[in-house]
Amino acid sequence: MAEEKPTGTVLVVGAGISGIKAAIELAESGYKVILTDESPQMGGILAKLDYQFPTDHCGMCRMLPLVGREYASQYCMRKSLFHENIEILPFTGIDSVQGNGGNYRVDLRKRARFIDPAICNELGKCIDVCPVEVEDEFNHGLTRRKAVYQAVPHNNPRMLLIDKQACTRCGECLKVCPTGAINLDAQDEVETREVHAVILASGVQLYNTRDFEDARSYAVSPDVVTSLAFERVLSSSGTYQGGAIRRPSDARPAKKIAWIQCMGSRNRRQHRDYCSSICCMFALKEAVLAKQKGGPEVEATIFYMDMRTFGKGFQQYRDKAVEEHGVKLIRCRVQGVMLKPDGSLMMRYHDPETNEFFEKDFDLVVLSTGQIPFEAHRRWADLLKAPLDERGLLATEQPGMVRVAGKPGLFLCGSLTGLTDISEAIISGIAAAGEAAKFLTALGVDTVKKEDIPEPASKARELPLVAVALCRCGEKTGAAGLDYELFRAELTRYPSVGAVQVIDSICKADGEAALLDSLAKTACNRLLIGACQPFIYRRKLKDVARKAGFNSAMVEIFDLFGVARRGMAEPSAADWTLRAAGEIKADIHSLKYKPALQVNTLPINQTALVIGGGIGGMTAALSLADRGVPVHLVEKEGHLGGYLGTRVEHTIDGLAPVALAADLRQKVLAHKHITVHLNCEVEKSLGTLGRFESQLRFKNNGENKYLHHGAMIIATGGREGATTEYGYGTSEKVLTQAELKRGLTDGNVDVSEVENVVMIQCAGSRQKEGRRYCSRICCLGAIGNALEIKEKNPDARVFILYRDVMTYGFYEQYYTKARAAGIIFVNYSPDAKPRVEMAEGRPVVKFTDPVLKEEMELPADLLVLSTGVDPGESNQGLADALNLSLTEDGFLAEADSKWRPIEFQKVGIYLAGTAHSPMPLKNVLLQAEAAAQKAYTYLSGRELPTAAVTSMVKDALCARCRRCVNICPYGARSYNEADKCIDIDAAACQACGLCAVECQNNAAEVRGWGDKQLMAAIDAKLMDRPLASAG
Amino acid sequence: MDLQEVSVKDLWQDVYSAGNLHYCFNCSTCISGCPASHGDPPLLVRNLARKLILGLEEELLDDDTPWACVSCSRCEEMCPMNVMPFEMILFIRQWQCRNDETRVPTAIVEIYKRGYTQAVGVNTELRESLGLPRLNTITNNPEQLELFRAMLMKTRIVSENDYMFGG
Amino acid sequence: MQLCFFPGCNTPAIRPDVERAIRASMPVLGIELVDADNYVCCPAFGSFPSADEEAWMATSGWNLSIAEEKGCDFVVQCGSCYSSLCMGREHLLHDAEKLTRVNELLEPAGRQVTGKSRVRHVSEVLFKEIGPEKIAAHRKKSLKGLHGVVQYPCHTLFPSEVVGFEESPRAPQGLRRLVEALGAAVDGYSRELQCCGGAGGFMKSTPEQAVAFAKAKFDAILAETKADFIAVSCITCLMHMERVQNTLNEQIGEERYRIPVFDYNQLLALCLGFDPKQVSAICSVPRDSVISRMTDVNPNT
Repeated sequence: MAEEKPTGTVLVVGAGISGIKAAIELAESGYKVILTDESPQMGGILAKLDYQFPTDHCGMCRMLPLVGREYASQYCMRKSLFHENIEILPFTGIDSVQGNGGNYRVDLRKRARFIDPAICNELGKCIDVCPVEVEDEFNHGLTRRKAVYQAVPHNNPRMLLIDKQACTRCGECLKVCPTGAINLDAQDEVETREVHAVILASGVQLYNTRDFEDARSYAVSPDVVTSLAFERVLSSSGTYQGGAIRRPSDARPAKKIAWIQCMGSRNRRQHRDYCSSICCMFALKEAVLAKQKGGPEVEATIFYMDMRTFGKGFQQYRDKAVEEHGVKLIRCRVQGVMLKPDGSLMMRYHDPETNEFFEKDFDLVVLSTGQIPFEAHRRWADLLKAPLDERGLLATEQPGMVRVAGKPGLFLCGSLTGLTDISEAIISGIAAAGEAAKFLTALGVDTVKKEDIPEPASKARELPLVAVALCRCGEKTGAAGLDYELFRAELTRYPSVGAVQVIDSICKADGEAALLDSLAKTACNRLLIGACQPFIYRRKLKDVARKAGFNSAMVEIFDLFGVARRGMAEPSAADWTLRAAGEIKADIHSLKYKPALQVNTLPINQTALVIGGGIGGMTAALSLADRGVPVHLVEKEGHLGGYLGTRVEHTIDGLAPVALAADLRQKVLAHKHITVHLNCEVEKSLGTLGRFESQLRFKNNGENKYLHHGAMIIATGGREGATTEYGYGTSEKVLTQAELKRGLTDGNVDVSEVENVVMIQCAGSRQKEGRRYCSRICCLGAIGNALEIKEKNPDARVFILYRDVMTYGFYEQYYTKARAAGIIFVNYSPDAKPRVEMAEGRPVVKFTDPVLKEEMELPADLLVLSTGVDPGESNQGLADALNLSLTEDGFLAEADSKWRPIEFQKVGIYLAGTAHSPMPLKNVLLQAEAAAQKAYTYLSGRELPTAAVTSMVKDALCARCRRCVNICPYGARSYNEADKCIDIDAAACQACGLCAVECQNNAAEVRGWGDKQLMAAIDAKLMDRPLASAG
Repeated sequence: MDLQEVSVKDLWQDVYSAGNLHYCFNCSTCISGCPASHGDPPLLVRNLARKLILGLEEELLDDDTPWACVSCSRCEEMCPMNVMPFEMILFIRQWQCRNDETRVPTAIVEIYKRGYTQAVGVNTELRESLGLPRLNTITNNPEQLELFRAMLMKTRIVSENDYMFGG
Repeated sequence: MQLCFFPGCNTPAIRPDVERAIRASMPVLGIELVDADNYVCCPAFGSFPSADEEAWMATSGWNLSIAEEKGCDFVVQCGSCYSSLCMGREHLLHDAEKLTRVNELLEPAGRQVTGKSRVRHVSEVLFKEIGPEKIAAHRKKSLKGLHGVVQYPCHTLFPSEVVGFEESPRAPQGLRRLVEALGAAVDGYSRELQCCGGAGGFMKSTPEQAVAFAKAKFDAILAETKADFIAVSCITCLMHMERVQNTLNEQIGEERYRIPVFDYNQLLALCLGFDPKQVSAICSVPRDSVISRMTDVNPNT
């Protein structure tokens, strides 16, 4: 008998965005995950953000799995998360990490909450009587809370706890607690766990106005808040009320609001020579929201140094904020804020547009306080005995990537990999999960084995007879508990209720056995279970029901302690019972008409197609092939390597694309699982997740080849931007940055004699005509080239004419280095671009110096234009072939820019690299790993269970109008030309029901949500009196 | 302004070689709270840095605004790039003095002559009426004053302009 | 505790009553002052520091050598003197080459500088060495019932690494706490940290704008506070804030700006019971309104 392999287990430290994403990805791949967080609740910073750029809504739930979605809760993620493979441990710290490579022993410190969540009935009487009030840190001190409290107001379950520091041990809470859940002497518990890998996603510290001297010039009043605190000012669970943004000091409406950027960052004096990356978009979003939520008379002014709109869609958002919403941007860093007796906040600033000074009063000032990375890195380095790099960050194998150097099985994600926004946190979370999964594969550990319980036959056609099982929930039956006898009496009045059982603690083993036992004896064919927190126990309870012979479709779970109590402050047992009985009617009626549901499985072709043989494509292909997945790698050129891998020797941040590509090429060509197809493009691709068929067309001979695969990754890259501005094409002295880079590498551009080099950024970019977007890499590229020129010829003068220097994150250090090297930066505005005239064969550049307001002119020996990145020329063809859409700018349009950045609405197709948007190589590599991981989740098994609840077509009623095909947001519906019918991709369908609403003939329906069933439920709810008094 | 004509590097080294001037990225922190930026013409510290960076020697030599500085050092404290603007102003003044003797402040002649810019310790009557002791000033100590002058005479500014000091 | 008193030039020459106040108060509070014989100009920023670095350092070194010889720290009242001496010491301490050169220059005069003596502002000594509690305990008179505003000398705040002694140089507390220790209420106002504008060449080069700049400050004091007096801690602030009020009154032809300005040491000496005719003799904005309202502190309560 083969030795049983252990189940792969990964510890994810930190339950913010990246940690949650990494945990979900690993859980979906079948591994056990322990997800811890230092704070009493999960969600990280995002728990505080009601609105996110660019949609200005919350979209956190979009990171939940789409396929096999019944394994996880489908629930508001700001409230909580449940997944059967994830053990969530909030309020848990890491005391020590021992061991190495695949065998880590971790001491987890579970901090005392002083309230046992397993016993607490969450009615919160303890909160009512607690006499201690302190500042509520969730609302940044804008509101107050008790010493007994709920850490996040929208959490469900509420998970109450006691703040040990604030608690006076007066004992009032102990007196009123009906369940004995409070223990003021509770101690931290230290538990040692063994895991195979560890992912650190603990995030970094955020700058706080109280802790830092340089903020004191600004934080002169409670009305000066951090950007994170302003989120709470905007939130109705914070201080937002009655359609007005209110000043924290006196709750008066704030009409004039200012943001001050770079608080705490971009500061050499404070040894923080980096950009916090996220604050510019954060401020723009908050300014737009302030305008929207505070009314049109709100003035929003952002004081900034460089407006760093480097990401996909960022520049467009800035343009919209300024042009449509009237957000005012002023390039000036103010020295401080002066507080007037009426509470107004006065600032003096210099307006570069008018070259004048102004003193202006504001009602509210928001400090765009950045991220502080070093503390978190130092702490981890100490704990893990891992080295720090020269910047003071944990050393990784490649800069900014996820594998910790010298520590196999240890990975970073989120802001520990750099300073990340939501989409980058998501990508790094997936990439870290992918690296961990690869590591576990190599280690030879197993995935979680699911107990195989066969699905019993549906008894949908039998006369409905409902068994009701009510959980007594042991200790929770206190003074305000349910009257179970009354409940039983109420329910048994229904003719369709066959049995009512009251069982202790259904969620525990004894209760499970009792339920099984009672169900085995019943003649009922449908089952309604009333218990707490159904979103956690649904799957487990359905398993029990299945064992007892109930088809999953015939089982419903009712939230006995939550829904029924809603809006009742102090219910008596009888009130509560009657309310619950009334509520439960709808479920009984709905169950009566419930059709049989089939749980289908999709066969999966475990092969991947990777389109694009550049560094991103090769990385993704190898990531999959190393895990045994056969890969077809398609490249339109006659060789692998892509743009960077064939042209760029080294990047400014220490990566070597050509060498990297050579290494990848060698591995790809030698890999037994990878088949390379050169000189061809994907002409057409049909099918859905698990079974795609793609047609390759070869350029040289026009031949076609057909490939079958289960998933695909698009990594087709981009191309050098073009321009006709600034005399490009008229002189050999005018060239692009890419041409200069090549020239410097191959020696065709000699800079040893040059005196003056002028570089112009954003040539043809960030403007209405041409590229509207920022190409993200050009500022770095120009700085890299400029430094190389200075190195070769220290006497050369290099001028860089720029609009905003986009050296976000730690790239700021290169901007600093460039200035230190004597490179001269000249800001220009798009309204007054530099002008170039040719004189004596040399380009003469004329510009206005923004500081001195003087006209300058300079004959340049070299004029170098940063022309940006254009979308790949095959993007349109590819989008057509795969039925995907492009952004207005011609890049592939992902499903959701923040939450699903490398996915499409159509499941099974993933995106990596410049096909998404221009980005540095580091991000290409992360996206490639992430895309491979997404594909691997589905390609790792032979088949995939689809959700039981999906949409369907009643073919006889269908008029083939195809409105449902057009409206489906997931691309799950298609028209089958051969069979002249509507096909549904069960994996892609998310049962949103839009098709059912759209269909004029009632032909489209969501299984289990038929009209008859819903109407019955609604009728039951509308019956105005409880059954008992109906007589 | 034809930038071809100016030399960036020489001006830096001449004026403020030890400084962090290059790091300036024109954020305007120095000017937004500067008292002398209220003047007419205003003292605009970042503009002085800019002239140095661009090598605008003549413009810098003609610039009177460095002398309007109140030496409050707010810019020094607040500058995120640690450019040390107040020191830069002092070094610009020194450079102007080196290149234009009419810039040399007369205060240094006073100091050379009597140790102070003011007539210290001569108001004996007033001091006595307040109950103050006589001050042992260097003005009243010819031996020490001579040593002090001899020391200053060895410094460049005094020896090169000795005519100003009655030499 | 022994400290070497650096009088500067404006104080002994123009406002010797301030010097008298310091010489009177310090011994009461346990500080023994020794005289800096043969000291010279600090040097003022407009003198050698604006003309020649070497001469600046030499002059600084000359002064610092005096305190070192006495074996104690300097105590300084004038903000400019304090800042200039601090900067000189900072330069010498962090540049061995400069230090060597300065010692070469000092040698014929039999002087030497090492940087061992620190330079301390009188308000630092009062706030940190003596402390508001001890000051309050020694009071014979009180400013109870009076409202004041404080004017922090910029030269004691910035750059904080060189001159600072406040826990938070951007939100200083020292002077406020010292005035409160004398019994007065200190009113905050929007422009509390705005420079008086009196030092350097601002007032000389563009007097109209410099007066307007100061006017904004006085207008804010009048509009936002109940100030009966202004407490400063620098001779330049003292002289300038009196002079500007008179200038403003001349401009508008009425006596709108007449808030008495005191150096803190004067208020302290008055509260310690010293004769106003000695420690508060010279002013151009009358101070009677404050001095007449001072009350006796009953030692038994």
